[in-house]
Amino acid sequence: MFDLFLQFVVNGLVNGTFYALSALGLTLIFGLMRLVNFAHGEFYMIGGLLGWVVTQKLSMDFFSGLVVVVAVMAAFGWLLDRYVIVRIRDKGPEPGILLTIGLAIFLTNTALMLVGTAPQKVLAPVPSTPLLLGPIIITEVRLFAIAVSIAAIVGARLLIQKTKLGKAMRATFQDATAASLVGINTASIYASTFALGSALAATSGMLLGSIYVAQASIGGLISLKAFVVVILGGMGNFAGAILGGLILGVAEALWGGYVQTGTVDMVGFALVILILFFRPYGLFSVRAERA
Amino acid sequence: MKFERNVLAGFLVVSVLLGIFLRNDYLLHILVMVLMYAILASSLNLIVGYVGEFPLGHVAFFGLGAYTVALLSTPAVGLPLAAAIPLAALVAAVFGWLIGRITLRLNGPFFVIITLAFAEVLRLLAGNWVALTNGPMGIAGIPHPAVFDLLPWLAGKRGFVMLGAALLAITFFVGYRLVYSSAGRAAVTLRENRYVAQSVGIDPFRYSLFVFVVAAFLAGLSGAYYATYISFVGPEVFSFPFTATMIIIVLLGGKGSLIGPVLGAVIVTLLEAYLREFNELRLSLFGLIVMAVVLFAPDGVMGYARQRFQSFFKEAGHA
Amino acid sequence: MRMTVLALSVVASAAAMTAHAADTIRIGVIQPLTGSVAYNGAADVNGSKIAVKERNAKGGVLGKQVELVVEDGECQPSKTVNAAEKLIQQDKVPVISGAFCSSATIAAMSVAAKYKVPLLSGVSSKSDLTERGNEWFFRSAETDGLLARAFAKILVDQLHLKKIAYIGVNDDWGRGGMNEFSKQIEAMGGETAMKLYFDHGTTDFYTMLTRVRAAKPDGVFVAAETQDGSILVKQMKEVNLQSKVFGVGSWATADFVKLAGDAAQGIHAAVPYAYTIDRPENKKFVAAYKTEYGELPGKYSAAGYNALNIIMDAIERAGSADPDKIRQAMAKTDYHGPNGSFKFDAKHQAYGFDAVLVRLNDGKPEIVAQATVTDDK
Repeated sequence: MFDLFLQFVVNGLVNGTFYALSALGLTLIFGLMRLVNFAHGEFYMIGGLLGWVVTQKLSMDFFSGLVVVVAVMAAFGWLLDRYVIVRIRDKGPEPGILLTIGLAIFLTNTALMLVGTAPQKVLAPVPSTPLLLGPIIITEVRLFAIAVSIAAIVGARLLIQKTKLGKAMRATFQDATAASLVGINTASIYASTFALGSALAATSGMLLGSIYVAQASIGGLISLKAFVVVILGGMGNFAGAILGGLILGVAEALWGGYVQTGTVDMVGFALVILILFFRPYGLFSVRAERA
Repeated sequence: MKFERNVLAGFLVVSVLLGIFLRNDYLLHILVMVLMYAILASSLNLIVGYVGEFPLGHVAFFGLGAYTVALLSTPAVGLPLAAAIPLAALVAAVFGWLIGRITLRLNGPFFVIITLAFAEVLRLLAGNWVALTNGPMGIAGIPHPAVFDLLPWLAGKRGFVMLGAALLAITFFVGYRLVYSSAGRAAVTLRENRYVAQSVGIDPFRYSLFVFVVAAFLAGLSGAYYATYISFVGPEVFSFPFTATMIIIVLLGGKGSLIGPVLGAVIVTLLEAYLREFNELRLSLFGLIVMAVVLFAPDGVMGYARQRFQSFFKEAGHA
Repeated sequence: MRMTVLALSVVASAAAMTAHAADTIRIGVIQPLTGSVAYNGAADVNGSKIAVKERNAKGGVLGKQVELVVEDGECQPSKTVNAAEKLIQQDKVPVISGAFCSSATIAAMSVAAKYKVPLLSGVSSKSDLTERGNEWFFRSAETDGLLARAFAKILVDQLHLKKIAYIGVNDDWGRGGMNEFSKQIEAMGGETAMKLYFDHGTTDFYTMLTRVRAAKPDGVFVAAETQDGSILVKQMKEVNLQSKVFGVGSWATADFVKLAGDAAQGIHAAVPYAYTIDRPENKKFVAAYKTEYGELPGKYSAAGYNALNIIMDAIERAGSADPDKIRQAMAKTDYHGPNGSFKFDAKHQAYGFDAVLVRLNDGKPEIVAQATVTDDK
């Protein structure tokens, strides 16, 4: 009985790590730019499909392919911010929401037109043979994906805390006017942040494409799950996103395991509704002010 | 005001005339869809244009209206549609009150996401609570209004066009009265500057909730209309395609005006019909259109028209 | 920009509408071309196209070439209704083949009855479709009930399955299939460990499979289509599920085998068609399909092929493209296809064709047992 519970928890933690990585980009973009990127799931999706292209069509190995995907998506994010998002930057939250919704619809359907609905596989460097760790079963490729996820999360953290770019980002986050007064090119910072967010989303898309599948229509659900995580952890809260991801993963696994597998997706939404009702700034935020 | 009222009335008259004289069933079908979307988009427009928030989960009320009609009118309960349709709208309004009470305390992206969460929960419930909703198999065999059988003139799609025009007339009436009432003006003040409004004693929450409930009622009406026309309701009534179409109609037509949603409904429904075969191309195009409107013409067609033809709108009392 | 798009689309569709020739016989087809069963819908259309190509090469039907008008029903009732309305109202087809998913077909059935146009489904397997008294509807596919009866005995007696877990897609077809099979197997003494459902398009089955594994069943029955099924089967190997797996759906198709890879090894499937069926009509069909599409045909390709052939035979027999005459002629069908002969009973349910139990071995569906779908109820 306990073994089963443990297996569910482990499954949940595995999924949770992936949720955390996927939501990280979203929370960074919101934290810095106060832009809610509804196309986040589509960046994830493109990362997955590009991963398929580089590993299966161009026969690159996983890591070189990942570098290519990250570079492409970072560039894409940068350009998108510099030339499109900048136009609506100071116009309040609504245009950003609508713009990214339109972008999401466009990206999903263009991908469907180009690739079709068939799910594709990203080739991982590690097989999916099951390993037995005590009473728990986990596959090699999942362990691999967790390792890469953790590396990516740590890498992003280091970027933000230890590099000059990261410092400039944090300064702009705190006060954009003051930051530009001390000579920080805020336009460039915004673009870099958006690029970082896109790259993180694409990385998680490619990783998960190697464990599950990559398909063009997955964007909507991923966006929703990422929002759930970000709201749980507090928008802009790095550590919160990680904890939020793990919580969501375990909550879903336990619900699916003990109650009903069909309604698992509802767990996230129920959590969101409860959180927004009682603690709209997230479980881990200090602010208590409401609308 | 007068111009607007005349255009809206004119649209209704044209719809009725088309309903009488058109023989082609497929064109009548398109007309029914235009009417349905006009009602739905008008309801969304009330919140977007007059409360200033974006309820991405607005489709929840559409779906609730549809399912209520389905559940009430099928043989087990057997309520006649003349009762089921208004009841469906009322049910939607009640849910609007419940959901609005919770969600309207938040704004910006939080509001967007929580309304979306509610819509998704309803969709999942509809798909999994098989005992009540028959799950993904849906509820089939929803009858059409009995009055269609009594008057042979109303047979087939023509009856639905008349029903749609009647429901749209109600929508226009409600919307018009709301916008030009003191409640409406309060809502506009809130939209323009929340703090100033509060300082003159307007309680943002009460007015927002009022508009939200009215919008939910109208969306429920639209859902009820959909249910009796298609005669089949499944969890897809809560799904994204309706939301996407609604958003585009409101944006394209121009938010914050009563004509906007109607104009948008005509354009978008026609586009959908012409591009039926190219499903993904059409949606891809929709995405681009949304982006283009946001970037270049945030007030939609009506906004553009207002700029160009300012003389017409000089007498318009509201923004 | 908006105006240009509108203008372009108006021009494009006007051009399309004037392009149709008046001297062809048009047959409507409604299949899911998008969504998670798009694979199978596309396969059905491919099979249909081969049937039409063959017939046109022999001079067509009633001396005219046959033209297919294909619409995407997306496996959704509302979209299918739209598609049917368009086919009947705008394209004026006298007969339709569709609509794949049972719930979509039910919706199409009422449209067919309303406009009095015959509708033939080569795929929809929910048992009660032919029990609704709709005289415009025909079904040239097996029903879940008939398939279950044909195979429950084999599964319990030959495979010695005592405790069975059921996994199915959460829709008409999945639920219907699971109900029929579990009913038959329980009648033979098998025990039902659990019944779990998942939604179309699910990619993560871990939690569900963990529950199944914990119950330690001898066998796992799966009702899933190509896309969902291939992912499910792979994850079964990943969670180290040792039970025997048998499924209904598209399990013997080349698509499924390609997607599932090694995980498909040793799986049993109960299907009405496999490309390894030993009949001369089948060998011809397989060769033609392989030449045209570069892959081997599966259940749905055969379904489309058979459906169109039955329709074209009926038109020929009716001597005209009048919907009512086609309907009367269809009832007298006596068709020999790649998987057996097809006749319709009084409720327009087809009988007399094969149902095979296959075992996937190195990607090839080896026939383990064969039965004939009979018309006794």
